[in-house]
Amino acid sequence: MPAPAAAYERIVYRNPSEHHYMKVRLEFQDHGIGLNAAQFKQLLISALKDLFGEVDAALPLDILTYEEKTLSAILRICSSGLVKLWSSLTLLGSYKGKKCAFRVIQVSPFLLALSGNSRELVLN
Amino acid sequence: MVRFKHRYLLCEVVSDDPRCRLSLEDRVLGGLVRDTIARVHGTFGAAACSIGFAVRYLNVYTGIVLLRCRKEFYRLVWSALPFITYLENRGHHYPCFLNTLHVGGTIRTCQKFLIQYNRRQLLILLQNCTDEGEREAIQKSVTRSCLLEESSAGEELSDSGGEEAAEAME
Repeated sequence: MPAPAAAYERIVYRNPSEHHYMKVRLEFQDHGIGLNAAQFKQLLISALKDLFGEVDAALPLDILTYEEKTLSAILRICSSGLVKLWSSLTLLGSYKGKKCAFRVIQVSPFLLALSGNSRELVLN
Repeated sequence: MVRFKHRYLLCEVVSDDPRCRLSLEDRVLGGLVRDTIARVHGTFGAAACSIGFAVRYLNVYTGIVLLRCRKEFYRLVWSALPFITYLENRGHHYPCFLNTLHVGGTIRTCQKFLIQYNRRQLLILLQNCTDEGEREAIQKSVTRSCLLEESSAGEELSDSGGEEAAEAME
């Protein structure tokens, strides 16, 4: 007897993830300047607002972790806004008159990928 | 063919105050739209939309405005129009809003739409009209525009028929 036809369902994911995660670090030209988490988020939103206006300043942007000592953070943004966020971080030049720059260390659509970095791998 | 393609946005300025339309000027309106785009879409939007931007036609009596922008960025301009809430001219501040009637690729298509729209507005004005003298003036304009519709030439005169009706209402 022939086996009954198995019913199967095919699901195709075109876009693997609807969010992108960025690991960034803020560098100042002078040392000794600290920001708390709220001021950091305000800086990001003002960078977006400067370049892309009020509409894109309202993009759903989240700071998942923030370290005040090293001024590094992991950000989450929806995938359609990644290019806008990255370009506005690139063009941000100063905070309250002091020169600064954002260094983007890692970008990935998956949060797990940010936990390890093959550049910092030490092989014994 | 290689040419710069544009989009023409046909808008109507709607306001409670009848003096608002009379104080419209193309430079004032152009500056207001540019400022609104800069506020809503930032430096990028302001730069992208201001290259091919121009106020092509402005009718003070009916409040019709024709804006031109490049085809690649017409959506930025279109989405910034609802954020215009007031008109400021020579110290007078009027609250108003821009209602977009039509988006066309050429001035000619916008003109064709405007003629049909004015004809429909004349009929609506005729229905809502209260004064006998105004009613006669509007009926005259309507019959004239119908005659012009039958004849192929002279379509642009019905625009002035709409102006006269609007003047008679004010």
